[in-house]
Amino acid sequence: MELRPLGHPIMDAMLTGVTADALESAFQAVAAADGIIAVTPAFNASFSGLFKSFFDVLPAQALSDMPVLIGATGGTERHSLVLEHALRPMFSYLHAIVSPRAVYAATSDFGSQAGPALGERIATAAADFARLLRACGPRARRDLVDEDLASIQQLLGGETGGS
Amino acid sequence: MGSSEASGMQFGIFTVGDVTPDPTTGKAPTEAERIRATVAIARKAEEAGLDVFATGEHHNPPFVPSSPTTLLGYIAGQTERIILSTSTTLITTNDPVKIAEDFSVLQHLSGGRTDVMLGRGNTGPVYPWFGQDIRNALPLTVEHYGLLRRLWREEVVDWQGKLRTSLQGFTLAPRPLDNVPPFVWHASIRTPEVAELAAYFGDGFFANHIFWPTSHTQAMVELYRRRFEHYGHGTPEQAIVGLGGQAFMRRNSQDAVDEFRPYFDNAPVYGHGPSLEDFTALTPLTVGSPAQVVERTLGFRDYVGDYQRQLFLMDHAGLPLKTVLEQLDLLGEEVVPVLRQEFAVGRPAGVPAAPTHESLLRARTADEEPQTDSEDNPEAR
Repeated sequence: MELRPLGHPIMDAMLTGVTADALESAFQAVAAADGIIAVTPAFNASFSGLFKSFFDVLPAQALSDMPVLIGATGGTERHSLVLEHALRPMFSYLHAIVSPRAVYAATSDFGSQAGPALGERIATAAADFARLLRACGPRARRDLVDEDLASIQQLLGGETGGS
Repeated sequence: MGSSEASGMQFGIFTVGDVTPDPTTGKAPTEAERIRATVAIARKAEEAGLDVFATGEHHNPPFVPSSPTTLLGYIAGQTERIILSTSTTLITTNDPVKIAEDFSVLQHLSGGRTDVMLGRGNTGPVYPWFGQDIRNALPLTVEHYGLLRRLWREEVVDWQGKLRTSLQGFTLAPRPLDNVPPFVWHASIRTPEVAELAAYFGDGFFANHIFWPTSHTQAMVELYRRRFEHYGHGTPEQAIVGLGGQAFMRRNSQDAVDEFRPYFDNAPVYGHGPSLEDFTALTPLTVGSPAQVVERTLGFRDYVGDYQRQLFLMDHAGLPLKTVLEQLDLLGEEVVPVLRQEFAVGRPAGVPAAPTHESLLRARTADEEPQTDSEDNPEAR
C-alpha cells in the first residue's frame, strides 16, 4: 500500500474527519491483515509526516495485537536508530507486536560495492517476522461497536427507567 | 400538519447558530443580528410549509444559542404550526430537572408543538462550566436521561443516582401538556452507544449524517433498528429514524456551485479540507438545482429504510439572511412538496408516521381504553 496517493484524503480526514472511499479501503485492508510491514523514509530524525499522519487517522485499535515489521530508508546509516527511537515506540503505543529485528537501508546499500549485506539483513528480519506471525496465528478481529455497546448495555442494565 | 401526516414524514431545518463572517464580504453579524436572523429563519420555515425548526445548543463563541427554550419560546409566540425542537439539547451538562421544566413550559406555550433531540456534546471544556466532567459523558447520559423520563412520567419522583443529588417527593411543575411527554430523539454523529440508548427506550434516533460518509449512517441506523426490535418495541421498520442533510440551491446548478463555494471553502467545520466536489461525493451535501436535492434526498431511503424526519442545515458558514430565506423558499416550493409525494410512494403501511403531540395523545388514549382489536400500535410506548 502506497501512502502517496492517499495524501490528500489523509489530510482531509485529519482536518475534517471525513474519510474518502480510498482511505476507508486502506483502513479496512489494515484491519483485515494478519500482520503488516511498515516502511518510511527517515525525515528530520523521525518518520515522514505522511507516514505518521496515516497512523494518526487510522481508527483506534486497528493495530492492536498486530504483528508489525518496521523498516526505514535514509541517506546515511547514521540515521538508522530512527527505527528504535521513532517507529518502535509509536507501534508499541498502538499495542502492535513489533518484531524485534527492524530493517534499515541507506544509500550505501544501493551502491555498486554494496554486496549482499542488505539482502541478508532482510532475510534475517523476515525469518524472525515469519516466526512471530506463525506464533501469533490468524489475528482475532475485534468488534469495536460491540465493545462500545457493552459499556452502555451495562449502564442501561442498572437503569430502571426503561420499559 | 395535514401534509406531514399524509406522507408520514416531517421536513424541516436545523441550525447550529454560528456567528461566522460572510467570506465574500468579511462581515460578521452581531450576536443580536444573528439571533434575530434565527427567528426570521424559523418564521420563514413555517411560512414555506416546513414541519420542524430545531436549534442547536452551544455555550461558547462563535455560537449564540446557549438558551434554546428561550429562543424556541419566543418563536412559539410568532408561529402557529411548526414543531419546535433542538439539535441538540445536552443531556450531559444540563440538569435533567431543568430540562424537564424548560420543555414542559415550552410544550404548554406552543400548544404541544415541542419535541427534543438529546445529544451528549463533545466540547470538552463545556462540561466543567456546568460542574461536570467529560470523562463521565456516557454515565451522565444514561443517568440523566433515566431521571428525565421519570420526571415527565411520574407525578411524584423519589430518585437516587451517582452523579446528581437525590430527589425526594419531587413533582415537576408544570406537568407535561396533556400528561404526554415531549417525543425524544437521540442524536449522534458517530457514537453507536446513542443508537443503543434510543433503541433501549424505544425513542427516535437521529443520525446527524452531514459530517460522515453515508456508510457510517447506514451502519448506525441498522444497529438502532435491530436493537429497537431486540428491546421489544416493534419491528425494525417501526423504529423512528431522522436524518440530517445539507443543501444549497439555485435553479441553475452551476450558479449554486459558484455561489456556495466560498462559503464551503471557509466553513468553520469542514472548510480548508476536502474540495466541495469531494465533500458532496462523500456526504449528503448537495449543491445544485432543487431537482438534484430532491433526487439525492430520495436516495437516503435506500440505505436507512423508510424514515420519519428529514432536517436540512441551511443557514451556517456566514450565508447572509437574505440568501437563507431564498433557500427556504426553494426548499418549501420546489423540494419538500415533491419529497412528500415521492416518499409516500411505496411506503409500507407498517411504517409509522413521524410522532407528534397529537399522535402520541391519540396513542395514549387508545391505550387507556379497553382494547377493541389486537392491532399493534407502534406509538403506544
